Amino acid sequence: MPGVVRLSIDSDLNQVEFIARAVRSLCDNLLGREDAEAVELAVVEAMNNIIKHGYRGRRGEAVDVNVTLTRSEVEVEVVDHATPIPERIVKGGEPLAFDFDATDVAGLPEGGMGLTLIRMSMDEVDYVSRPGENRLRMVKRIAAS
Amino acid sequence: MTLNDTAHGDVLVVRVEDSRIDAARAPEFKTAMIERIDRGHVRLVLDLSKVDFVDSSGLGAIVSCLKRIGPRGNLAVAGAKGAVAKLFALTRMDRVFPLHASVDDALKSVAG
Repeated sequence: MPGVVRLSIDSDLNQVEFIARAVRSLCDNLLGREDAEAVELAVVEAMNNIIKHGYRGRRGEAVDVNVTLTRSEVEVEVVDHATPIPERIVKGGEPLAFDFDATDVAGLPEGGMGLTLIRMSMDEVDYVSRPGENRLRMVKRIAAS
Repeated sequence: MTLNDTAHGDVLVVRVEDSRIDAARAPEFKTAMIERIDRGHVRLVLDLSKVDFVDSSGLGAIVSCLKRIGPRGNLAVAGAKGAVAKLFALTRMDRVFPLHASVDDALKSVAG
């Protein structure tokens, strides 16, 4: 049953939905609905970050997604050749929960939620940046039935 | 992005007809909502019953609508379910936008 599916889109926000739907259907028979939705959210947030911040909205660049399915987990690796996520954000002890004053409407966050959502949605997340290539690896374990 | 408006007294119910509010659609959604707010619709119910996916960009657009309304009115969310309700819970935005099961419940909470 283990298998690898390789997907690739252009760095265009309009194409992120195609990857989301493809990854979602790959997960549907392996993960429960909530876990499959969590993987979809993490993948979308990762791709949005790459396109918006890494490529700064520039189209015509590749974003590759490798989905590895095993009996015990779904691994999604997102590969880009954009500006990496700044190290202070990757390592910077970003909180694993959202903490803000719900009564202060003007101060509510409107962005910067992606990486925290990815960490909350997946069981393992790691990010490796080499010159010219960044790899974000995200794992969701399959709950024993 | 298709939005369907229904007026209930001074409250405007806006139903999102698309199944996703994501980063590709969030700017258009935000512009359309801000346009309604700037026309004076400051008591709004956002009906998400047809939406099955929202990402943080879509959520950010909803937050910016609430900021635009400010102290003049209110924005309630109705019909959020599944992954959409989960996103509000994960980000703790459910403390800002109490999630109402139905448009009728949401109408009661924003009525002036």
